[in-house]
Amino acid sequence: MTLVMVVDDDQDLAEMLGIVLTGAGIDVDLVSRGDEVLEVFRNNPPDLVLLDVMLPGLDGIEVCRLIRAESMVPIIMLSAKSDSHDVVKGLEAGADDYMVKPFRHPSELVARIRTRLRRTNADLLGLLTLGDLAIDVQAHQVSRGGKGIALTRLEFDLLVALAKEPGRVFTRDALLSEVWGYKHSTDTRLVNVHVQRLRSKVEHDSERPELIVTIRGVGYKAGVMGGS
Amino acid sequence: MSRLNTPIRNSLAFKVIVSTLLLSLAVGWLIGSVLNSKLSTGIKEVNLNSAFLEARSTIYSVQYQILIAQGRSGTDMTTVVKKIISGVTNLTAEKSSREVVLLRDPANMIRKYNYEMTSNLVDPTSVPQGLRERVQKGNDLNWANATLKYAGATSVPALVVGREIDLPNAGRYEMYLLFSLVDQNATLALIKSSLLLAGFALLLLILLVTWLVLRQVVRPVRDAASIASKFTRGDFSQRMEVTSKDEIATLGNAFNEMADSFEKQIARLENLSRVQQRFVSDVSHELRTPLTTLRMASGIIHTARFDFDPSVARSAELLVAQLDRFEQLLEDLLEVSRFDAEAAVLESLDFDIVKLIERSVADLATVAQEKVTSIVIFSSDHSIAIQADIRRVERIIRNLLNNALDHAEEKPIEITIVSNESDVAVGVRDYGIGLDSNSLTRVFDRFWRADPSRARTRGGSGLGLSIALEDTRLHNGELEAWGSPNKGTHFVLTLPRRAGGSIQARLINLEPKDFKG
Repeated sequence: MTLVMVVDDDQDLAEMLGIVLTGAGIDVDLVSRGDEVLEVFRNNPPDLVLLDVMLPGLDGIEVCRLIRAESMVPIIMLSAKSDSHDVVKGLEAGADDYMVKPFRHPSELVARIRTRLRRTNADLLGLLTLGDLAIDVQAHQVSRGGKGIALTRLEFDLLVALAKEPGRVFTRDALLSEVWGYKHSTDTRLVNVHVQRLRSKVEHDSERPELIVTIRGVGYKAGVMGGS
Repeated sequence: MSRLNTPIRNSLAFKVIVSTLLLSLAVGWLIGSVLNSKLSTGIKEVNLNSAFLEARSTIYSVQYQILIAQGRSGTDMTTVVKKIISGVTNLTAEKSSREVVLLRDPANMIRKYNYEMTSNLVDPTSVPQGLRERVQKGNDLNWANATLKYAGATSVPALVVGREIDLPNAGRYEMYLLFSLVDQNATLALIKSSLLLAGFALLLLILLVTWLVLRQVVRPVRDAASIASKFTRGDFSQRMEVTSKDEIATLGNAFNEMADSFEKQIARLENLSRVQQRFVSDVSHELRTPLTTLRMASGIIHTARFDFDPSVARSAELLVAQLDRFEQLLEDLLEVSRFDAEAAVLESLDFDIVKLIERSVADLATVAQEKVTSIVIFSSDHSIAIQADIRRVERIIRNLLNNALDHAEEKPIEITIVSNESDVAVGVRDYGIGLDSNSLTRVFDRFWRADPSRARTRGGSGLGLSIALEDTRLHNGELEAWGSPNKGTHFVLTLPRRAGGSIQARLINLEPKDFKG
């Protein structure tokens, strides 16, 4: 059974989320205070965290940072603000995705959760290489010179999406559909922030990226070392 | 500082210095010339008096010596007279400062002796004819200004004083003493140049003092102006330095008080605006959480509606629809408050506006079907890349399309897309009920509805077009409306293709071609 931790201080909403997720066959762990999250998280590690931004005790963005410091679990932020500032702050703190309240439909939430939990590229076998990176798709591991690099599931998916077709230029929309499962979202902040985070982990110098190259006005492509 | 660099002729310092200069020149000249004329008159008078005294005594002494010489017999009178005359000229230390001319009265008929003579080769014509006539008539001393001419052709200004004397056995002679005025004129010239020098020095002093005073007054005024202009540009921390207790300090204090009051007022308003924004943000958060719960609950009920009684099922549908509307209204209100607080920001990126419009039309296909109408796109190009906030542009397009769908009256809707190098224009035309000129002026007003008596078929917040207008303005674009009753409406959106650019041309005529009159 999949376990999702729901962190929200609004009792009614938390209960409602519980009903929706349980109805979709997902186990739910409800937490209502920010400062209680880590303890529950450690005692009973969930498969995914649904995290509200405004929380008593400890701010949601701070909680996100703390979880990310010790786990690569997928995190979806729930935000009542669609203001770019808060969204970007959440993403930078380590969230994989965000949903702005109110959501259109319960099924939308369930779909998002399933996208984040699914094993992408499960059909892809063997090893991919990108520059001096070795990517083991099956084992979900990335290494450079035998040394492992810890990536979140989403960062890994983003890297694989780019690396399996080196040289192909992906538009941000294409990446949103491939990695996040959005049919036609126009929110490119998600892509920008995560590419930035991925670069900081895999590039030698994230200021001058060689593996994930920006194509101005279009999107990104996996660069090959020595190539242009 | 640019405003302070006015032409020099407009500056206060220049005006004051020029007027001071002119005024002191006038006064100085007046005082100088009065002083000069008084002094020269005085000097001339003194000279004349002393010349008279000298001439009188000299002439008496000459007559006296001649009388004595006459007493001694057998003396050569000519030698005696010459001696006496040369003695007279030698009386003074300065050479040729005094000359003597002895002339025979033309009425004297005695030709036996001629004592006519001059000292130091003075030309006898140096004595003016007018003076001679006066001397011949009168018995006392007479005088005149003349030019003392020497045989060597040099001549100097002189004062001539003379009277008639009797020479024994030779009749009446005119005796003249000629006093050179070279010294007197030199003195007068010295006085004049001293006066000029003093006047010039005084003028310089006045100018210097004026400049110093001006510096003390004008500098603080300039500082004040510079600070005020910085203040105008939004630097409210600027204050004038007050170091003294004079009028300038009063100005400085008054200015600083004004600045303090300004700053307080602005801080108060900024605080109000922050409070307002904060309030809106809080309201938004507080409303969204229960709305989320509501939506989830209604979603579950809606999904299960087929298990319910038809009226309950319909209620579930209405519930979902009204929640949609409620949410849209909340979104729109928040957006409007963001515009009002000037907190709306553009997030520009490159995208294809034709593709965006095609997608928006596709999204509204079912609505169009319900309305028994269709949306046709006429585009000059297959794809038009623009740099803009895609979320806002999409919202403008959706709002225009929703508005057209609401009023299309089952007639097709036409979208025209035209672009050039710098701009792109989108026209949305419907052939429905249209708008009269009164309505056109209000069509972008908040919560305004074209026809209140007409039943609303679809939701809509009543804020769509006003938000579209604000979104357009944020892009430096233009959104205009044309309408005519029963001829439909035509909305034209023009946007610059580059973020931060401005519109160069109107690519679509607001008034449609098919409309006449």
